[in-house]
Amino acid sequence: MTEVWTPPYPEPGSANDAAFIGIGEIPSGVYRERGFMAQIVEASARAISDAQLAHTDIDQIVLIPCLHGIADQADLIFSRVAEELGLHGRVKSSVMVHSGGSTSDNATRMAAGLVASGQARNVLVVYSERWGSADLQAMIDMLSVNGIPKEWEAPTGLQFNAIGGLITQRYMHQSGSSAEEMAAICVALRAWANLNPNAMYYEKALTAEKILASKLISDPIHAYECPFLADGAGAFVMTSATEAAKRHDAWVRIGGSGGCVSHYSAGQDADLGVLGWVEAAKEAYEAASWGPEDADLGEVYDSYAAVLAIAVEGLRISPKGEAAREFYKGRFSPGGQFPLNTNGGLLSAGHTGVGGGTALLIEGIRQLLHRAGPERQVPNAQRCIVGGSGGSYMDAQIMMLERATR
Amino acid sequence: MSVDTGYIQNADELTGPFAAALAEGRLIVQKCNDCATAIMYPKYRCPNCFSGSLDWQQVSGAGQLQTFTILRMGAPSAFDVEPPYCIGIVKLDEGPQLMCRLHPGADGTWNSYVCDQRVSFAPADAAEVAQRPAAWFTAA
Ligand SMILES: [Zn+2]
Repeated sequence: MTEVWTPPYPEPGSANDAAFIGIGEIPSGVYRERGFMAQIVEASARAISDAQLAHTDIDQIVLIPCLHGIADQADLIFSRVAEELGLHGRVKSSVMVHSGGSTSDNATRMAAGLVASGQARNVLVVYSERWGSADLQAMIDMLSVNGIPKEWEAPTGLQFNAIGGLITQRYMHQSGSSAEEMAAICVALRAWANLNPNAMYYEKALTAEKILASKLISDPIHAYECPFLADGAGAFVMTSATEAAKRHDAWVRIGGSGGCVSHYSAGQDADLGVLGWVEAAKEAYEAASWGPEDADLGEVYDSYAAVLAIAVEGLRISPKGEAAREFYKGRFSPGGQFPLNTNGGLLSAGHTGVGGGTALLIEGIRQLLHRAGPERQVPNAQRCIVGGSGGSYMDAQIMMLERATR
Repeated sequence: MSVDTGYIQNADELTGPFAAALAEGRLIVQKCNDCATAIMYPKYRCPNCFSGSLDWQQVSGAGQLQTFTILRMGAPSAFDVEPPYCIGIVKLDEGPQLMCRLHPGADGTWNSYVCDQRVSFAPADAAEVAQRPAAWFTAA
């Protein structure tokens, strides 16, 4: 028999309970003139300033990887960021955490652990991506090699839009969702992006008609249902509740988390219409002692509409099979009952690689800090469910975020 | 010449027999000698009982189509096939599942496929399998 284990999460308000105190972001989109390292420094500076700290207060750096090139990745690994931020000789360590699209959740776990265990006082977590300016065929090739087993699935011609197609086909079959209902997901996300000045598609409208009239890329996915690769950067700062209370009236804490790695190969998932969300949600909701009915909003990984619909159902935000229809009815749109992916998501704020999940996490923190501005701030937001997924949707990672006050 | 070390030493030893069988028009999956679990994709140890005593078994080739997609543009450069082509996931009657290619129907399209339908293994020709060792299926 397996021993039952209850994770010893820090109590709310305990001295070393980890706290998000600041965020920084620059707009996502295609910005050829912006350099990789320039993006990192600017996003970091904004987050440090938002946290009301000096750069020299940062004593540990956690890096989220980029996917556009090995040279920039190597610069991250070999501590270039510490030097660029003037922190060489000052920070204890600079380290990368990587689990693809769910990296934001695992980087958060790591940063929170460093704080809770007294290993760090102020941790800077930062990402920068140059996907929007990268060569498209090179990125398609990269995404048909990485995360796809070369022995078993590469010989079928699989690539990432095809994985999206396989998942979408399965989801539509199981749920009976129509093409119009699936398109409504992208339309809802675009409506949120139209309220977010940092979103790639801040100024462009999108309709279901336009989506359904666009070319099929990998059935049943149309061109306007594919993620658009973007340049972008974002950062956040974590510290302890004790440190947070010195400078801030409010911060964001982690009520609990849950996770499930359901596969490596897309072809090996037991049910591509379900993925790992049910298992992960069970753990996360138990740990936090609250669930979807108590949440004010959600920020959930959405590189394809079906991926989001499946997550929303696994998280029990929607009844099984009903997520796309609820999107169609406007439940998750601006002005709807349950605000979801209020930055526009990866599908409309821009897919900044591993950073896409980080952008959602940053938006969740922003909402709970009540800094999302008059147009898209969820009134009096107290609780946010953040969901991330990586690779070929290999895992489901959940962070239960709560607003905390002094 | 290979030395019997008592364990599978590399990916070629692991995957070679599968491709060799495909070239003969046969579909095989790994099986565990200790707990009889049918395993696909092959592993260095049995995912059920963790035994290292593993062999191969021929399967019926009958299964259920979990899902499929027709890729119409953006094929990987290394995959020398002009789109459209159809990729599916088949759950074999023996239990394991795998990513595969689907043959078009008599009309030259894949329009008649639906999720959960019965399919059966229908090997591609030798030249195709030599270049791209994938299992192909067709409507049963
Ligand atoms: Zn076994």
